[in-house]
Amino acid sequence: MFETFDHTADIGIRIEADSLAALLEEAGQALFSLIISDLGQVRDREEIRLRIDGTEPDYLLFDWLNELLYLFESKRLLASRFEVSIDEGGISGLVGGEPWDRQRHELDYEVKAITYHGLTVEQVGGRWRGKVIVDI
Amino acid sequence: MTANRFNGPLEQVGECSWRIPKSYKDGMRVDGLIYANEALMEIIRNDQAPEQVANVAFLPGIQQASLAMPDIHWGYGFCIGGVCATDPADGGVISPGGVGYDINCGVRLVRSNLFESDVRPQLDRLINQLFRDIPTGVGRGGKYTFDHKELRALMASGPRGLIPRGLATERDIKFTEAHGRIEDAQPVFVSPRALDRGRDQCGTLGSGNHFLEVQLVERIADEEAAKAMGLAEGMVCVMIHSGSRGLGYQVCDDALHSLRGVPAKYGIELPDRQLVCAPIDSDEGQHYLGAMRAAANYAWCNRQLLMWQTREVFARIFNRDWEDLDMQLVYDVAHNIAKFEEHQIDGQRKRVWVHRKGATRAFPPEHPETPQEYAHVGQPVLIPGDMGRASWVLAGQPGSMEKTFGSACHGAGRLMSRKAASRHAQGRQIRDELAKRGIVARSQSRRGLDEEQSDAYKDVDVVVDVVHRAGLAKKVARLRPIGVIKG
Repeated sequence: MFETFDHTADIGIRIEADSLAALLEEAGQALFSLIISDLGQVRDREEIRLRIDGTEPDYLLFDWLNELLYLFESKRLLASRFEVSIDEGGISGLVGGEPWDRQRHELDYEVKAITYHGLTVEQVGGRWRGKVIVDI
Repeated sequence: MTANRFNGPLEQVGECSWRIPKSYKDGMRVDGLIYANEALMEIIRNDQAPEQVANVAFLPGIQQASLAMPDIHWGYGFCIGGVCATDPADGGVISPGGVGYDINCGVRLVRSNLFESDVRPQLDRLINQLFRDIPTGVGRGGKYTFDHKELRALMASGPRGLIPRGLATERDIKFTEAHGRIEDAQPVFVSPRALDRGRDQCGTLGSGNHFLEVQLVERIADEEAAKAMGLAEGMVCVMIHSGSRGLGYQVCDDALHSLRGVPAKYGIELPDRQLVCAPIDSDEGQHYLGAMRAAANYAWCNRQLLMWQTREVFARIFNRDWEDLDMQLVYDVAHNIAKFEEHQIDGQRKRVWVHRKGATRAFPPEHPETPQEYAHVGQPVLIPGDMGRASWVLAGQPGSMEKTFGSACHGAGRLMSRKAASRHAQGRQIRDELAKRGIVARSQSRRGLDEEQSDAYKDVDVVVDVVHRAGLAKKVARLRPIGVIKG
């Protein structure tokens, strides 16, 4: 699950999941639910593979969200399905969605960037918790 | 991360200044100093912005104090409304967080020879046309598209490069901070990703707190300065607030990524990762500076193209050339930037990197970088307030050089978070409320207006009053909005 929280001029995302992979998948949902008003309107018509190298969970969360934001910024891709697998050297992600269609998709926030401020990913009692603030 | 109240020391040291002594935290190299009156200080204490002022004091090479303006609010790493100067000769660092994601976010003011009686009958048409022709909001590309090569050339030249295309004049350049061009920009250091993001965004407003407002000069506070700036009571002006769009965000992001291991490499200890920095003289520092300058020059092109499109809309609605409407640029000034400037520090002239993160340059009269027309009154300092109340034109005063490295506030400062503002707007129609006050507002989303409602901001009059009393900049004119377009 994820929830958003207040940060004066920006917005925070708090995520909780059973595994780091699931946490990253949830984070993808959270990011795109800020970018588009109704994520349910996004059809799963295109698939993109992403690879991120790294081992530190907080940087993996940061880099993953950053790549997703760039997909939207450069290809205007709205993503609604996220599958993440983790290996020794990093993560592989499979992202499903479709290009922004002005007629069908109402955009919501312009996310300028993912920030490092208060960025955390931790494992507490078998659950993974993550926190990240995005610049609006 | 909830906004806990700041419980650290805040000692009042002047009518409008409060000190966080460097003894507060191990690692602070200088004091923190916040400019505010008592009422503002009560608001400022309510979150962790003062803690961020203290954290900035950790930066190597920081001079005098870690400063904050009265519109200070909680940011990430640096507070919004912060100023710090670092000396390369004293191991000083450059920190991308001290500039912000929106490199050279800033404000431009255009005047006209129109008065309210000329504009009021056409106001709906005018605002609708501005909203149609000027791209606002998420995902809107503009009518100007540049390829990578053209973008790199623009980032080297700044808006001067738009003159041959018929999109800028010599006079426009003259009244833009730094003539719209920071020297030694290195467009080759701007990544292909940043170029992709900036390709069709030059001449677009963006979203968040960016806006274009049609305003009236409601009251003149300083006749001489207003006259020098060509402002008169009742005059219609246009204020534009935007920055370097996706290109600048990406330059900042690229820098934060490439600087991840750098503080450890140079033995720099920081209390917050978002303060990541590099010694100015290091390769990493120089790389960021080259790209940051390029993005800053791009932002000046963006505001130039926004102004140009505004002139075209006015010309169409009023059926007269923009020159005939006297739509001249009063000034353009940045409030998210780092500049290499000369300042008097501890009795010595020093060249330092002044980081202004949500702070406006406010150079006093006779400063060599102020246009000659304004030399006797001081550099125009443009302070957007909120879309329902007012904005201000100030003029830089000598106190700014002595106290704040030539800086003043950059706005009213947020009072409510975006989400709180949205809750506060529930059951209300902000657009209708504005209309009742004679303000025509157009926004891509209802939420855009909800989050930017007047109540979400501190009272700009109070903030500006502190800046005036502290001798940083003097009041010149109060402007009242009559039309606004937003993302």
